[in-house]
Amino acid sequence: MTGWTIGELGAWDDKICEIGRNFGLNWYDIDYEIIDYHEMISAMSYTGLPTHYRHWSFGKAYERTHTLYNAGMSGLPYEMIINSDPSISYLMAENQMYVHILTMSHCLGHSDFFKNNRMFSNTSPELVIAKFKAAAKYIKDLIEDPSVGIEEVEAIIDACHAIKYQVPRYPGIKRSSHKQLKQLYAEKILNDEVGEYDEFNLHKIPLERDYNILAFIIEHSRSLNEWQRNLISIVEESSHYFIPQALTKIMNEGWAVLMHEKIVKELNLPDKYYVPFIKLHNQVVRPHLGRVNPYHLGYNIFKKIEERGGFDACLLAREVHNDITFLRNYLDEEMCNDLNLFSYSYKKSKDYVSVDETSDNEGWEKVRDSLIKSIGLNSIPVIYVEEMYKDHTLVLRHEHDGRDLDIPYARKVYDYIRDLWGDEVQLFTILEGELWEF
Amino acid sequence: MSTFREHKSIVDRAAADRVRHKKKIEKAIKESIKDVIADESIIGQNGKKKIRIPVKGIKEYRFIYGNNEKNQQVGSGGNHNVRRGQKVSKKRVEKSRGDQAGNEGGEEKYEVEITLEELAEYLFSDLELPELEKKKFRYLSEEAFRRKGYRFEGIRPRLSKKETLKRKIKRKKRAIAAGSYNPDENERFPFHKNDLKYHYMKPTPKETTAAVVFFTMDVSGSMTTEKKYIARSYFFLLYQFLRHKYDKIEVVFISHTVNAKRVSEDEFFQRISVGGTMMSSALELELEIIDKEYHPDSWNIYTFYAGDGENWPDDNEKAINLLNVLKENNQMVIYTEINEKRVHPEEDGDVENWASPSFEAWKEEQADTIWTLCFPLINNTFKRVLLTKADQIWFTFKKIFGAKE
Repeated sequence: MTGWTIGELGAWDDKICEIGRNFGLNWYDIDYEIIDYHEMISAMSYTGLPTHYRHWSFGKAYERTHTLYNAGMSGLPYEMIINSDPSISYLMAENQMYVHILTMSHCLGHSDFFKNNRMFSNTSPELVIAKFKAAAKYIKDLIEDPSVGIEEVEAIIDACHAIKYQVPRYPGIKRSSHKQLKQLYAEKILNDEVGEYDEFNLHKIPLERDYNILAFIIEHSRSLNEWQRNLISIVEESSHYFIPQALTKIMNEGWAVLMHEKIVKELNLPDKYYVPFIKLHNQVVRPHLGRVNPYHLGYNIFKKIEERGGFDACLLAREVHNDITFLRNYLDEEMCNDLNLFSYSYKKSKDYVSVDETSDNEGWEKVRDSLIKSIGLNSIPVIYVEEMYKDHTLVLRHEHDGRDLDIPYARKVYDYIRDLWGDEVQLFTILEGELWEF
Repeated sequence: MSTFREHKSIVDRAAADRVRHKKKIEKAIKESIKDVIADESIIGQNGKKKIRIPVKGIKEYRFIYGNNEKNQQVGSGGNHNVRRGQKVSKKRVEKSRGDQAGNEGGEEKYEVEITLEELAEYLFSDLELPELEKKKFRYLSEEAFRRKGYRFEGIRPRLSKKETLKRKIKRKKRAIAAGSYNPDENERFPFHKNDLKYHYMKPTPKETTAAVVFFTMDVSGSMTTEKKYIARSYFFLLYQFLRHKYDKIEVVFISHTVNAKRVSEDEFFQRISVGGTMMSSALELELEIIDKEYHPDSWNIYTFYAGDGENWPDDNEKAINLLNVLKENNQMVIYTEINEKRVHPEEDGDVENWASPSFEAWKEEQADTIWTLCFPLINNTFKRVLLTKADQIWFTFKKIFGAKE
């Protein structure tokens, strides 16, 4: 540890919490774990979850993160918090006191966000750790089971990871099984007096578009055994845990930055802490040229909200919005212009990337719309189950919104889906205006 | 209330997953090897030296959007004056959007640290050495001396204290039984010369395969630094490969202009000479060395010759004849021409086409070069190889040694 004690951390934390309460924050208690650099890299690789299941992709994440820090492309890692109750956060032993002060204030913001934002209202944070722990144990046992083994486990998880974000994008809606849906529609048909359901085919599977490919496979595949279904279900459930976070990345980070700035201001830090703190803070909220830094964008929007409606308006916004509605509501011409946002794309005919729109009077709305389309889950194509034929051929369709799929990638994912499904799979999309079938 | 806990982990939780990941990138490493062996810094280093090699990441495929005009990205312009239509990047849009959920496409590159020995493992695990005819060879290594039984004669260091003591105790018991010695009288019972037993070291000949490699290079003025660099990379690879396959391997470096000279490895790569080229001088020297030191019955002999193809015409016939002799007692002779003037055929051509110069080069070619004259020699034990650029080395190598992809 570099020049500080746990006692000092506790003393600063007391002050931070008191200020947080005065601001009206309401967070889960935070358990800080003090870990070394390698444990920090580990924690980041497993997306912070202390009990995440094992898979080589996390080993890869470790190497990549380590390479980045090793090459000096990033400073030291300092912030990692988990949406659980109590929240778990990590403090890296090698960091200095002012970094911990920033981190603890920042984490208060995150934990408050987890507890109050609507996207997280169905995440059962008190169960998160236990759930992941049980899943990790299940997978560990399978790997050690001589009749299964790591190769077979990886085959399933690799395939599941390829479609892990092909789940419904609105958190907290429970999926109905085919049986339940059939009953629902049977009743609708029975009570249908205006002939709305005359054409409805009750024998089709699925009865509605199913956006949850993993769940559909668990329910209908005829080639999977029990442990394989359980594995798929583990991946599917962990996706649900990450969905709210993916929906609120910009807000969540913006809120945490806003709060750490406010809290630290009240702390009246001595210069030896305050000066390096300001430097680090500026580093965090600097714009990334050609990209969007969620810390920078989120923080600036919250600042604007506060400027116009006071801090109470901020508290309300952090509760009711997700990134999409947040940007739609608050990102206006003035802000787009201030942030100098522009949109760009690859021009096939010219083989280079050029600017499409800038944030002037004519362009800012288009820039904003492009931004909304490219953030979080919106950057992931939507694929749904259209139908399963009698011979068990699975028909998938890409909900095309103008943006074409990357075909080589889609081809690989298609292969994975076929491996999981076990029968024929058809995948339809549109490529350069023409129907394209895999 | 927050709590603080110093986390003391005993296990590195990422270890197992990193090992699994490493296995996956081994394949990727093999694919990067072409770039690595063209890097001069690895040549002539010892096996423990660590090198960092860039590896393309193992991709995790997802559905992602492709590069098209509708797939617009947004960024901050900072203080720059951004205009519509302005070209911002020559490259395609990076698919990777680092911190955003799930959308990890694009090229990921990172570095892996491995030792040269590991590199050699990767390189050669899927190659098989041709003509691995086991010579009736007996090489007596240190470990081949095994203890086997005991003898009454021997040298002090091999004295078996245990056996010696056993014999003394036996003799003592016999003496007591015979009444010639009374243990109660406090009299010493000393060792006798006949008690002494020695370990017998039997020289068990352990059959091993041994190889000697002749690296022979033309160092005359026409071999430029660039060509020597190619030769060096190429020889390095050949050496690593043979070292990997044989228990014991010796290397002889011969450099030549009009005269040949046996040199050290350092001299071999550093020697700068002026003068003409007489290939036969080197081949003669090699035969002489083989005759004195490396009998073909005991050694697997490999000859790797590298030159730029410019030999004195008067020497050609002699050189070819000597190559023919060498071919008879060598496991393999490879005549390598490093000649950037020739046009290298497509890399996916079959060996026959690939090993011959292109038609363009053919037209200019005089019939009496080593390259053309050695053509009739080509068979399983004689190969001729053309290198025009360093990055062909790995490909060439795989062709010679028949890699299974």
